[in-house]
Amino acid sequence: MYPKEIEKILQKVQKPGRYVGGEIHSVIKNKDEVDVRFTFCFPDIYEIGMSHLGIKILYGAFNQVPYFWCERVFAPWVDMEQQMLEKKIPLYALESGDPVKDFDFIGFTLQYELSYTNILNMLKLAGIPLRSEDRHDLFNIVVAGGPCACNPEPLADFFDLFFLGDGEEVDIEVMELYRQCKKEGVGKHEFLVRAAQIEGVYVPSLYNVEYNPDGTIKSYTPKEGAPAKVCKRNVNNMDGAYFPEAFPVPLIEVIHDRVSVEVLRGCIRGCRFCQAGFLYRPFREKSIETIDRQCRALCASTGYDEISLSSLSTSDYSSLNELLDCLHRWTEKAKVSLSLPSLRVDNFSPELMERVNSVRKSGLTFAPEAGSQRMRDVINKNVTEEELLRTVNVAFAEGWTRIKLYFMIGLPTETIDDVLAILELGKKVVDAFFANKEKPRGKPVEVSLSAAAFVPKPFTPFQWFGQDSMELLHEKQHELKANNRSRRVSVSYHGAETSFLEAVFARGDRRLCAVLERAIEQGFHFDSWDECFDFARWMELFELCGLDPAFYASRARGFDEIFPWDHLDYGVRKEFLIEECKRAYEGKTTPNCREKCSNCGAACYKGGICVENR
Amino acid sequence: MKTVRVWFSKTGAAKYISHLDLTRCMARALKLSKLPVWYTEGFNPHIYMTFAMPLSLGTEGLRECMDIRLTEGIDLTEAAKKLAENLPKDIAVLEITEPVLGFDATAYAEYELSINSEEPQVLADSIDDILSQDSIIVMKHTKKGEKEFDIKPHFTLLDKQTGPGLLRVKLRASCSQEGSVNPALLLEAVKRYENVELYAEITRIRLLTKDFSDMR
Repeated sequence: MYPKEIEKILQKVQKPGRYVGGEIHSVIKNKDEVDVRFTFCFPDIYEIGMSHLGIKILYGAFNQVPYFWCERVFAPWVDMEQQMLEKKIPLYALESGDPVKDFDFIGFTLQYELSYTNILNMLKLAGIPLRSEDRHDLFNIVVAGGPCACNPEPLADFFDLFFLGDGEEVDIEVMELYRQCKKEGVGKHEFLVRAAQIEGVYVPSLYNVEYNPDGTIKSYTPKEGAPAKVCKRNVNNMDGAYFPEAFPVPLIEVIHDRVSVEVLRGCIRGCRFCQAGFLYRPFREKSIETIDRQCRALCASTGYDEISLSSLSTSDYSSLNELLDCLHRWTEKAKVSLSLPSLRVDNFSPELMERVNSVRKSGLTFAPEAGSQRMRDVINKNVTEEELLRTVNVAFAEGWTRIKLYFMIGLPTETIDDVLAILELGKKVVDAFFANKEKPRGKPVEVSLSAAAFVPKPFTPFQWFGQDSMELLHEKQHELKANNRSRRVSVSYHGAETSFLEAVFARGDRRLCAVLERAIEQGFHFDSWDECFDFARWMELFELCGLDPAFYASRARGFDEIFPWDHLDYGVRKEFLIEECKRAYEGKTTPNCREKCSNCGAACYKGGICVENR
Repeated sequence: MKTVRVWFSKTGAAKYISHLDLTRCMARALKLSKLPVWYTEGFNPHIYMTFAMPLSLGTEGLRECMDIRLTEGIDLTEAAKKLAENLPKDIAVLEITEPVLGFDATAYAEYELSINSEEPQVLADSIDDILSQDSIIVMKHTKKGEKEFDIKPHFTLLDKQTGPGLLRVKLRASCSQEGSVNPALLLEAVKRYENVELYAEITRIRLLTKDFSDMR
């Protein structure tokens, strides 16, 4: 229950329902009867955090253990933060209303780089010293996991430990170890030394970093028995992995207000820009029986009337039709609809569309990612123009008239012709509409092209690539807008500046901790929100700290450079990424995992598609 | 098909959810309760629900109501129990009844304001002064901006009680489909005439008909 003191300030803020808890299935325990209390902190507003599947899985997994109690915390929006600061109300957890600083573990999920200031700001609002070295006792331990934990170095000074890979098992093992240490009266340092022995745990303070005179990494040296390579944790058996049968059902509307069931983890595709596609290997599916059981359980506990079958690429589920058949046996009668969040251009069919309520009739979204075939081959997005046109023709015949296409600009080897090919593709979609005999009458076709700036990420074949300068990105954006001749096509793009900053932190090192620390002193937060993002002030901060952001974002690296994340092991070998990088520059594609194994290294986990018969 | 009236309270955390969020929450609970509710027909069938008088965000309601339709006859006590089991703890089902009056019979509502005050007696006196004026003009926020509004004809003071640091005011205010007056406007009046900013917890106790009897 929320603390009584906030009652007054709730009358002054937008959407007070974000701050009060009280949802069905929120877990209330007696704090005197649990050994370890964990706050799961999501560094964005409630509506975004409550749409996230990971928090639901881990919340359930932790609370299943009788002597653990996991609660939720979200970043208060700026109006609430202001009120809390004025009234000196510290950040609190939604279930008990207790201050975050009363918890054993303070855990964050690292979903995107621009949330880093929110993370540290939440620690500040909780009244917890930011730097790990300034927190001397076993109580509290500050931890994080999630995709950005694959290069957590810009946050290394603030966190006691990071979880790499799948969290369902390793998080609980670390909590068990903590419980043991608490009983034995073991101190924080000894706890961290022991935790570093658990697979999937990275304790940054146990590694000394040396730099070369040019600012690149010279070496990472582990100490006190910490492993030289920290391996990510992998859960092979998705049928056996914990999945919740209930989760707190938000009282206010959230972004994804529906049941979400993970059908598979990983992705077979190997798109070279996509970090998730490499981090979550191998591709592992749940069985139809498991998915069906989990869908039934969640519908029965939440009352939602929509299920999202979620994953990186749900249409790659090997028995999608059988799965839909199985679910349809009960969902129609129960007035529950099914949706697929990610549709691929190459397996869109009228049959599939009839069976899922993936989108409203108003608009369909696809991601060809690049305009020219050459560019799509470079990024290994194995989708052809013919497939896209076939797909939009199906969509037109089925009554859709609005098509949204996502692209990236600033990709490796990209020329201005590649950029302009985005417009040509948009035009071809419009032409396809007019040539289509079954198109809906009386409605104009609208094609919107959205171009994001590419951000090179660790553990991808493009991790060596120097991001396009902002000037060049702006030029490409301008060319796109200026050359659009069709009234039926609209072009939009988003923030070269935010992409630049993302690129800095994505491939940053520990020296960036100083920048983040200053950012917090100066009140930075919600950088992923336009109303809060101030690029000029960020540049002042870098200057103040004597760091050149272009060194991290725009510099092309050599294959022999040691990266700040090279001591972290996600199964995919660096040699494979180098091969893939070379193939990219040669414009050669690589088959997907289902067609042929490319020997990336993820077979070391002996699971999923790596061991199945193809 | 039979229309029934669900009486419920909305307190604690639930007072901070909007009317639209309340309808979503009720729809999920009705679905979970497996009551034989009627769905609207059409492309997107949804559970038919209609509410008497939406509550303002932040105001508690002790006896609110909504109508639903049942496709089979069932025991209403049992139905109330089932629905209650599937609602968040701060939304409680009081009973399910057969409606006697239409929602258009609602004319007033009774409210209680718990106002924080260091000198509750002084505040009580100034509220008396304000309410004895011929007209009580406050600024009302509307969609078209601020406008002057006389609350005098809409407010009737029923009771006042002082406690330590607290003044409880019970009043009756217009509350109908033609228009409702937010009791918080009384606080606006105090601000305007006495220049004090007040904080109050507001509770809607019950809905009344034009002869001040309970809505049924």
